[in-house]
Parts: sequence; structure tokens; C-alpha cells
Amino acid sequence: MFVPEALNAYMVQVGCREPEPLAALREETARLDQAHYQISPEEGQLLGFLLETIDARRTLDIGTFTGYSAMAAAMAMPEDGRVLAFDTSEEFTAIARRHWQAAGVADRIELRLGPALESLDRLIADGGAGRYDFAFIDADKERYDAYYERVLTLLRPGGLAAVDNTLWRGRVVDPGNHKVKTEAFRAFNSKLHGDQRITLAMLPVGDGVTLVRKRP
Amino acid sequence: MSSRSIGLSEAVQHYMIANSLRETDLQRQLRDETAAALGGTASMQIAPEQGQFMALMARLIGARLALEIGTFTGYSALAVAQALPPDGRLIACDISADWTAIGRRYWAEAGVADRIELRLGNAVETLAALRTAPEAGRFDIAFIDADKTNYRRYFEDCLALVRTGGLIMIDNVLWGGSVADPADTGADTQAIRELNAALHRDDRIDLSLVPIGDGLTLARKR
Repeated sequence: MFVPEALNAYMVQVGCREPEPLAALREETARLDQAHYQISPEEGQLLGFLLETIDARRTLDIGTFTGYSAMAAAMAMPEDGRVLAFDTSEEFTAIARRHWQAAGVADRIELRLGPALESLDRLIADGGAGRYDFAFIDADKERYDAYYERVLTLLRPGGLAAVDNTLWRGRVVDPGNHKVKTEAFRAFNSKLHGDQRITLAMLPVGDGVTLVRKRP
Repeated sequence: MSSRSIGLSEAVQHYMIANSLRETDLQRQLRDETAAALGGTASMQIAPEQGQFMALMARLIGARLALEIGTFTGYSALAVAQALPPDGRLIACDISADWTAIGRRYWAEAGVADRIELRLGNAVETLAALRTAPEAGRFDIAFIDADKTNYRRYFEDCLALVRTGGLIMIDNVLWGGSVADPADTGADTQAIRELNAALHRDDRIDLSLVPIGDGLTLARKR
């Protein structure tokens, strides 16, 4: 989104290797009005690459929608890898479930329907703190900071989180834009920058992805 | 190479740096000195946000043994060496004693000089020697940022030198955007295009092309 079109087309041409099951899911999701919620194939590929780099086994997917990022994570992990997926929508996650089944990764993904904050708090109360290798945050924007704090608790030392949409379609750099979500992203990005509990990198991939590593 | 990320608007670039860059004073001084001493050649230095991302990757993979091809004035070596544990090692290859002399001063001042082993000379020969050295097959990460027409060769060397699961990072894969311009048939552009196409179908690696700096390809040895 932030790279010129011809160059982006080239990047997809030489960089993208979308496996068939993910392509099929993308195609079906494209028919929905909310298709833009779905991450780009190159972002999914980067997430999978990072999971392989850290040899992740236990991951969190906050804001599952039709299941692309959860499926990319499941496919990047060995058979004993597990994704805990959080979403409020029966309708969207029903599409996800069908595609996870078809791709043969349904047994690696556990869906928790309901408000993600409550589910994450329950996970912490049940002894989940420090036990997760990776988390992807891509849910309702006003609550990013609350998700982030739960995720930091749940990650193991050295664990990784990827936070999506942190450039918010470029609105964060528009000085005239003071909408609630834009301001929420500005405050959140600024907080991460100063947060000494983590090391970070911000990448112009998709709608902006911030990578956060919990310091050991 | 390239001191800013490609294709991004000035505003987005500025915002990302203002909200994520954590450059040490020494790193900034090294960039300033490189710019003052070398003028236009300073564009061979990587963007600071790219250095930060590479350091993050080094930490994520738990790197202890690293390789760099094309050290220039030592910015990327400084960034990566600081992400290694105290007993970590980075073997840095370059042909220029002048450029790397600048780097050496900063490595010493940052307290990482003992982690960085500079091999001055033709990198093709240095890598050939490494392939029969005890380090062969044991590198956790490698960074390629040298003469473009030798990129294919450097990549093959790195693939032999990193361990299974090891990470190779290749700089300048978007080459200022010229790779997407069919009218550009320069030798460097062609060499990078050929490497990109070859990596795309190379099933010895997992792949991710990250549009940071001048384009950075991540390749993981399967």
C-alpha cells in the first residue's frame, strides 16, 4: 500500500509464494464487503517466515476474521504447533473453519469466539502467562493497547508479536485527521517506541506492521 | 545500501522513523561521519531502520555466528554485532581498508570490536576459504551487500555457509526501483533481477521480500 504500484507488482512477482489453500481462502474472502480486513499474501508470508525463524509452537491470533493469518501460522509450524484464534464473528469464522479443514490444519487451530479481551484475561488467569512464542494483533483498533498489554504478559521472554495496521492507511501522518482510531494508533505507536520492555521494528508491509520482541 | 526506505512518501518515512527508530548516539555519529567523509558514496550505507530490523532478526534467531559481505564503513556490522551475545562472532568481508578503518573505530568505541573479525580482500576468495574452514555450515545469519554482479555467487556461498534454519539477508533487491523498469538493462539491475527470479523458485529456501531500505530479501535455509 505504501510502495508504488509497478514496484509492488514486481515484489509480488518475485517475492510471493502463496500456497493454494491460502489463495482459495483469499478468493472466497474477496467476495465479502469486508475483504479489506484480510492481510496481504506477502504479509502472511512474512508472518510465516518469522514463525519459522523463531521455531514457534504456540501462537495467538487476535482478530481472526476469515482465518488467513491463523492458517498461515498453522502452515508455518510443525504438526504439534497450535494457534489460539480469537474473534467475535460466527459468520466470518465459519468461512475460516471450512478452509482450515480443507487445508488439513483444523486440528492445529482452536477458535475462541467472544470478546478477545475476556478470553485473553481468562488465558492469563488459567496460567498462560509467559507461555506463547508469537502473537498477531489485528482486531478492533481502539483496544490495541489493551491487547498489547495482555500479549506482553502471555509471550515468553524473547517471544514475538506482530501488530497490524500501525500506519493506518497513512492516516497517522495526516495532521488534519483526529478521528478516534487514528489518534489511538498515534498514541499506541508512540508508546511502543518508548517501551523498554521490548525491541521493535516498524515495516511498511501491508498497512504497516510493527514487530515487537519481548526482552528476556 | 540506501539511506532511506524505497518508494515511501517523505511523510510516511518520517513517521516510521520518528515512531520506531532507536539509534544509539554512536550509530548516528557513524552515519554523520560517513556522510561527511564520503559524500555521495555514503548512500552505500544501509538505512538506520534497516539496521534495527536486521538486529531484531539476529536476536530472534538467537545468532552467535554471523557473516557479512560488504562492510563499507561498518554500520550494519555495528548494528548486528550489538545484537550478538558477548561471545558472538561476526566475520566481516570488504575490500577497502579505508572504509573499514572508519568502522573499526566505532566498533571499538561501542565495545564490540572483539566480536568482529574483518577479512580484507576479494570476498569471492574469502568465501571460498571459509567454505573449507571450521565455521562452514555453522553461521546463523549472513548479510549480502556487496558488488551486485556477484550476488548469485555470494548467495550460493552463503547457502553453503549457514546452518539449516539459518538466515540469509540480501540487500538492494529492489535497486532503487529499477528492477521494475523494463527499460533498465544495466548489468547491476540485470544481476539483481536474475537473483530475485532464481530465489523465487528456489526450493532450498523459505523467502520473504521486505520493502525496507532498498529492498531486503530474507532467505531461510530449509
